Amino acid sequence: MSSPAATPRRLPRPRFPESARARARLRAVPVSVSTIPRAGFVVLISILLMAGVVGLLAFNTSMQQASFEATKLDRQATVLAARQQALELQVAALRDPQHVALAARHLGMVPPPAPAFIDLRTGDLLGVALPALPGDAMRVTPLPAARPKSLTPREKIVKVTLTKAQLRRLERDKRRAAQDQAAQTTKQGSGG
Amino acid sequence: MSARRTQSQRSQWRLRVTMLVIIFIVTVFGTRLMQLQGLDPQAYAAKAAASGVVSVPLPAKRGQILDRTGKALADSIDGRMLIADPLATKPYAGAIAGVLSKELGLDYFDVLAKLSKPNSRYQYLARRVPSTQADAAIAAVKATVKALIQDPKRKAMPFGGVYSQPDVLRTYPTKDVASNIVGFLKDDGTPAAGLELAFNSRLAGHDGAETYEVGSGHRIPLGENSTKAPVDGEDLRLTIDSDLNWYAARVLRTAVQSSGSESGSVVVMNSKTGEVLALADYPSFDGNNPGKTKAADLGSRAISDVYEPGSVEKVLTVSALLDQKLVTPRTKLKVPPTLPVQDRVIHDWFPHDTIRLTLAGVIARSSNIGTAMAASQMPAHQLHDYLSAFGLGQRTNIGLGGESRGILPDYRSWQPVNEATIAFGQGVSVNAVQMAAAVNTIANKGEYVSPSLIQGTATTASGDKVGTDTSTRHRVISPAAADQMSRMMEMVPNPVTGTAPKAQVTGYRVAGKTGTAQRVGAHCGCYDGTFTVSFAGFAPADDPAFTVYVVVQNPRNGGGGGSIGGPAFSKIMRYLLSRYAVAPTNTKPAHLPIQW
Repeated sequence: MSSPAATPRRLPRPRFPESARARARLRAVPVSVSTIPRAGFVVLISILLMAGVVGLLAFNTSMQQASFEATKLDRQATVLAARQQALELQVAALRDPQHVALAARHLGMVPPPAPAFIDLRTGDLLGVALPALPGDAMRVTPLPAARPKSLTPREKIVKVTLTKAQLRRLERDKRRAAQDQAAQTTKQGSGG
Repeated sequence: MSARRTQSQRSQWRLRVTMLVIIFIVTVFGTRLMQLQGLDPQAYAAKAAASGVVSVPLPAKRGQILDRTGKALADSIDGRMLIADPLATKPYAGAIAGVLSKELGLDYFDVLAKLSKPNSRYQYLARRVPSTQADAAIAAVKATVKALIQDPKRKAMPFGGVYSQPDVLRTYPTKDVASNIVGFLKDDGTPAAGLELAFNSRLAGHDGAETYEVGSGHRIPLGENSTKAPVDGEDLRLTIDSDLNWYAARVLRTAVQSSGSESGSVVVMNSKTGEVLALADYPSFDGNNPGKTKAADLGSRAISDVYEPGSVEKVLTVSALLDQKLVTPRTKLKVPPTLPVQDRVIHDWFPHDTIRLTLAGVIARSSNIGTAMAASQMPAHQLHDYLSAFGLGQRTNIGLGGESRGILPDYRSWQPVNEATIAFGQGVSVNAVQMAAAVNTIANKGEYVSPSLIQGTATTASGDKVGTDTSTRHRVISPAAADQMSRMMEMVPNPVTGTAPKAQVTGYRVAGKTGTAQRVGAHCGCYDGTFTVSFAGFAPADDPAFTVYVVVQNPRNGGGGGSIGGPAFSKIMRYLLSRYAVAPTNTKPAHLPIQW
């Protein structure tokens, strides 16, 4: 193989006509860009944005509304629960044996003096049937509180000596009282 | 060429500006972050919290205490506490105090002082008010204050300065009945006595908490929010029958008051299961208002008070003798007027010459001398072991705190005189539940069954498991001995032979025993001349359903176990038999000779 220097320097240039060369020159390929109208795009984006904002707002508002509703229902539940409890307390108070016993006593009821049963299948009496009497009643209320001694003043006896005039007056008053009483009794007697 | 160049320059410039803006923003944010987190984070966190983050405790509901039918003996309802902000209430203190004293019955002057307290913004006005009442009171306060406010802006939204917060409200619907065992809560909601105290960890539950952001009174959705749910307390179901307990309490009160006694207790047991159906004490207290009662009356005397059982204990001694076949109900005893033992002389409660009593007669007439004579056949350690097996000197572990063990002295320290007196119930001491369980052994055909107050199982504060599921049984005497003992006890309520004719229940066979014991004084440690009277018994005698024990301390009308305890026993037994529909057995009552 010969060295490159040995190769002939000038290659034979192909001969093309100028016109062909001109045709063959590289050119930008025309790009067929589908042109979207700019205004339409902006409108679309705006609508999307607006819808998003409005949607978010609506969502937030509805959440807030739900929160109000929840608070309201919560309060209502509390009130109703309180009422239920109040009613339960009332039932408990009415079921209290003390209350029932007082009501029963008010109706004139007393505990039975002896337990007795009737066998409903045979009609037999089990046990001794005794009539309940007022004496079978028992006290269900506490004893009335004792009156404190300090409320009952001690009797104080004061001895006085009377003058003769006073004694006479006393005699006279006594006599008059006796007469009045006698008159009263006769009146009553005649009236009856 | 020059146009392209200017375009590239411009874009580079734009990039730089954007970069600068970004750097600026990041720097600002970074600096702010440093300021918030680095310099004083606590202050800012607190500020944020104050601006709308609310942390609310979620109180756990305390478990109920129920009777055997599911009726509440202690119940928790949602109460409210009323709180005043004196800064706001001060100008209208008089008017508000007037409203509150009318609506809630609070003390006018007390409230007035709180409403006008200087330098305070938080004053408790009332605690544990039912929520309906609290709401009504606050509304009334607002209405009253509204009329007094001059400023139209404030008038539109009257505050009044009084508001409420949740507070536990514990109610005891049965009031003074069963309160001795149920106990009560102190003002701050901590347990103070009884089952409330013993089972607090079970009843209390665990409080929860909730943190959330609020804006103008409403919770902010999607805001900060965390909830730790409360764990409610468990209920505690008792073996107590609250209606029966009420009846027993009223019978007891009448017995104590009409005999001028100091105090008393009643224990009612289901003979076969050992369930305590009623446990009543007098004096009692109202759990809704325990402050009005003396501290001594706030516990259960049936559990905490010990006393000498007296003649009821003869039942246990004679049962032991019967089980050892040392005696029979017809064993003949020549009972002298007095019995000298060592340096002491034993007397009977009734004066007599030498009488010829059978062992049944000794029980029916309640002779100390006869019992001491019969018991002398048994060695001390054996009697001790029997009494111990009957449960004397040991806690019943019924589940109530403060139970006393009673005293059963070690047999090695017994002198002959001790054995003689212990045989008829002197020199030992018991609590009422112990004694009821001991007598119940006879009713349960000779098998001791430990008494229980709780249905199922529950763990006390001291870690003991108690309840019907853990109830224990052991045989103390043979069924034959128990039957013989029961027949002898039938002679006690017998009007011809016994000491307690008033303990009878018409139509039924009743077995029982009276007790009248001298009391050891609190100060001198000697017998102080006062008495403990009691009656223990069961019915129907041949197939016992219930054991009832009535004990009354220090009667001042000269009555004994037969005349005070007997009628109370009979009333409670009648009620029990008809309430639980126990028909008479219609068998022939026991007839044993009491003399020979």
